[in-house]
Amino acid sequence: MPRRRDCNDDAVHEEEEEEEEEEEDESYRRRKRRRSDFIDDLAEEDDEDDDNGGTGGSGRRRPRRRTASEFFDLEAAVDTDDDEEEEDGEDDFIVDGGAEIPDEDGGRREYRHRLLPQEDQEEDLEELTRSIKQRYARSAHVEYDEEATDHVEQQALLPSVRDPKLWMVKCESGHERKVAGRLMQEAINRGSELQIRSVVALDHLQNYIYIEACKEAHVREACKGIHNIYAANIKLVPIKEMTDVLTVECEAVDIARGTWVRMKRGTYKGDLAMAVHVNDMDQRVIVKLIPRVDLHALANKEGREVPKKKAVIPPPRLMNIDEARKMKIFVERKQDTRTGDYFDNIGSMSFRDGFLYKTVALKSTRTQNIRPTFDELEKFRQLDEGGNGDVASLSTFFANRKKVRFMKGDHVIVVKGELSNMKGHVEKVEEDIVHIRLDQKDLAVETLAFSDKELCKYFEKGNHVKVISGLYEGATGMVESVEGHVVNIISDITKERLQVLADKVVQSSEVTSDLTRIGEYELHDLVKLDNENFGVIIRVHSEAFQVLKGMPGRPEVALVGLREIKEKVEKKGNAQDRFKNQFAVKDMVKVIEGPYKGKQGPVKHIFRGIVFIHDRHHLEHAGFICAKSQSCELIGGSGENCDRNGKPFSSRLVPLRTPSRAPQSPMRSSGGGPAMSYGGRQRGGRGDDALVGADVKIRLGPFKGCKGRVVAIQGTSVRVELEAQMKVVSVDRNHIADNDSVSTAFREPYRHGLGSETPSHPSRTPLHPSMTPIRDHGATPIHDGMRTPMVDRAWNPMSPPRYNWEVGNAASWGSSPEYQLSSPRSTAYQE
Amino acid sequence: MFFHIVLERNMQLHPRHFGRDLREKLVSKLMKDVEGTCSGRHGFIVAITGIESVGKGLIRDGTGFVTFPVKYQCVVFRPFKGEILEAVVTMVNKMGFFAEAGPVQIFVSNHLIPDDMEFQSGDVPNYTTSDGSVKIQKESEVRLKIIGTRVDATEIFCIGTIKDDFLGVISDPGANA
Repeated sequence: MPRRRDCNDDAVHEEEEEEEEEEEDESYRRRKRRRSDFIDDLAEEDDEDDDNGGTGGSGRRRPRRRTASEFFDLEAAVDTDDDEEEEDGEDDFIVDGGAEIPDEDGGRREYRHRLLPQEDQEEDLEELTRSIKQRYARSAHVEYDEEATDHVEQQALLPSVRDPKLWMVKCESGHERKVAGRLMQEAINRGSELQIRSVVALDHLQNYIYIEACKEAHVREACKGIHNIYAANIKLVPIKEMTDVLTVECEAVDIARGTWVRMKRGTYKGDLAMAVHVNDMDQRVIVKLIPRVDLHALANKEGREVPKKKAVIPPPRLMNIDEARKMKIFVERKQDTRTGDYFDNIGSMSFRDGFLYKTVALKSTRTQNIRPTFDELEKFRQLDEGGNGDVASLSTFFANRKKVRFMKGDHVIVVKGELSNMKGHVEKVEEDIVHIRLDQKDLAVETLAFSDKELCKYFEKGNHVKVISGLYEGATGMVESVEGHVVNIISDITKERLQVLADKVVQSSEVTSDLTRIGEYELHDLVKLDNENFGVIIRVHSEAFQVLKGMPGRPEVALVGLREIKEKVEKKGNAQDRFKNQFAVKDMVKVIEGPYKGKQGPVKHIFRGIVFIHDRHHLEHAGFICAKSQSCELIGGSGENCDRNGKPFSSRLVPLRTPSRAPQSPMRSSGGGPAMSYGGRQRGGRGDDALVGADVKIRLGPFKGCKGRVVAIQGTSVRVELEAQMKVVSVDRNHIADNDSVSTAFREPYRHGLGSETPSHPSRTPLHPSMTPIRDHGATPIHDGMRTPMVDRAWNPMSPPRYNWEVGNAASWGSSPEYQLSSPRSTAYQE
Repeated sequence: MFFHIVLERNMQLHPRHFGRDLREKLVSKLMKDVEGTCSGRHGFIVAITGIESVGKGLIRDGTGFVTFPVKYQCVVFRPFKGEILEAVVTMVNKMGFFAEAGPVQIFVSNHLIPDDMEFQSGDVPNYTTSDGSVKIQKESEVRLKIIGTRVDATEIFCIGTIKDDFLGVISDPGANA
């Protein structure tokens, strides 16, 4: 085809040239005539048709036939006309020719066909120019027509019931093309006997070929005697799906200079590259890559000619030509004739500025949906520093991106066009069009519409943002600085600097560290990695966890995948500190020896004598410190702790204690026990008050089996509010059994007490003055019992611990055991 | 920046405080209550300077507590973006340093410290210029500019920079000693 075009072009030249050409043409024409001869035989009428009104829309069949005829003319022996009918479609597809080209072509060929005799007669120039004019006018017209082909005409081309059907025939995998070729051969041999119309083998479809024929029987007939085809398995392709079979998904290859692409195969497979020069004609592109060259291997090769194929792909590294020279590798310095740039050539590779410039086929690059990671861009940028590289390349990156989620109110900056660098905010988003209002007051009168490619999100120093995708997804922080499209964020939690593309960031006021959970594991969970190793999750990446291993003395952080975690440790144990004080999770401890001496904080996990402490002021490892329990000291009124923990389980001995409470924590359980010993300060029998509010079951007596809640204790009998009946009854103390499932009503205040214990500690002192009201309250136990669960809960959400005393929930002090604990402690504070 | 403003708060008072010095009790409770707290809108309440008015108390059903609406004048401190502050360095690490200006904690990232200052780990971690003339360590006083604030319910956190003209160390404890 290019040849033919040349021919046309030449014809426009001067006459002298024309003369010369004549000879050239002669040989060509000879061939042509042969072809045209048979075209005439075949489709003389068609040609006529074309001459009269032939437009692009005049039908699909004909052009196809053309392609076929052309094919045979140039490459195959001359055949009988009938064969053509069979072959053409098939060729069409195998050759992968579009419908347009042959169409246009067909038109052109005819003109020549007509033109040639004129040339033979050596017409004068005038005649010639006229004919040429005519020809070009025509062809332009034709092209115009083609463009104008509208949907209706397209629709008309779709297969209908009257058209031959498409059959899907199974064949052996990998033999699809072969089978199609066989069938073609068959068609050539047998001619019209073979009643199928075409055969299609698709590259992307294994095991099947398509055969176009009117009847299934024809297909069967055609398949007879052909290997690797399973004619027993013939399926009809529904009319609706016929077009899909042959639809070629044309990727609009829109590749421009500076576009990011990825290599599809070879050493650089998956590597990011930048298109430097695109040659649309031969579908080639020169890309700039970070070379993966092993200089040593290269040096060896040059020296001793050892063609040892290395399996290992060398890591990408910018090429240092001087280094190469030192290694006695022959480097040739050449100037590119086209651009005038100097390249250093080693063998067939050319380098410039350390980058490898490589010519590759467009097909071997991936251009769609390239999302260079930040690191990759950074590598490319290293050398381009200061050059136009930064912004330009990044902006092409932005042009390349698939979907940008602009939202109303987003702050944006224009990156392309004459309004570039104008700032504004998004007013409205419609698909790809973003309407923005510029910040400039005198320009803010009306909104301007931009393609989303022309805009980029814009952040200012000090904005609080959240990362919405990529490595740091979920992290929040404050914008420290903005460099082009890169936003530097100082993470809220880790105070690290994160570099993120502006595209991946949104303004947000929330504060999160990152992702906090994958599967069943959550940030700050204690997990077992194997039988020996365990640790606390201190950071959750998109697919892995950072785990601070439970090795006291030296912090060791491991990056583990989800599968590497064996299980989560839920157990909440307790441990003894250096002074044999028992402590449990949530107690405040201080590290008194080792590298973390002086650090303190609440215990988060205890496991095998190792404690994980969370110190808010410790910046590494998300504030977690791992230490041996022995090297810690329980802080916060440890004096009493000794006392209480001396008999941590004594509470169990106290009759009528709820068993479930005792073992939970010695600190908590001691509430009941020591109450006795502190009797001097508190009213006798106060410990019993703990029973108030407890869910109990009546073991004996008329209410045997009933469950209820203790509302009061009167001597040896207790008043129990029955669950089932609306009444309160008196039962002998010995006739009730503590219910194992202590009601939530009871537990609630408990839990609260625990949590608040640490922070509220300093405010213990003010507790003390209110001791008197407690006692007063205690005098009316009924009131006490009724209040506890309800009042406590009611107050909790509102009042931070420090307000407890003044909020005046005196009632709860009396009844909930943790306050009994605290009161003696507070005395210690005062003294 | 400091402001002197009037705020209002509903105070709940336990009946045991009712008596002659109810008002005093109320004020002392108010002071305990609000001084040192922080709200995103007004910033840190530094000190109560006076009581404007105490409204009528309302007895709350069931508890005996009385709610008084109290209007009080107070000094509040609220950091703003772009504000220049003088602060005391409290902690230095490789990521930058923390400084405190009164109740506000400010973090200065190492990227916001002039490039010629390098982190020196050791017993007293510090940032030092290459010639050793300027040193930022714990207890140093620095002048910094706030570039961003984050307001939590109970805390205002700022990020600052000393990478600008006239910012940096204003007194060095090491030099004085």
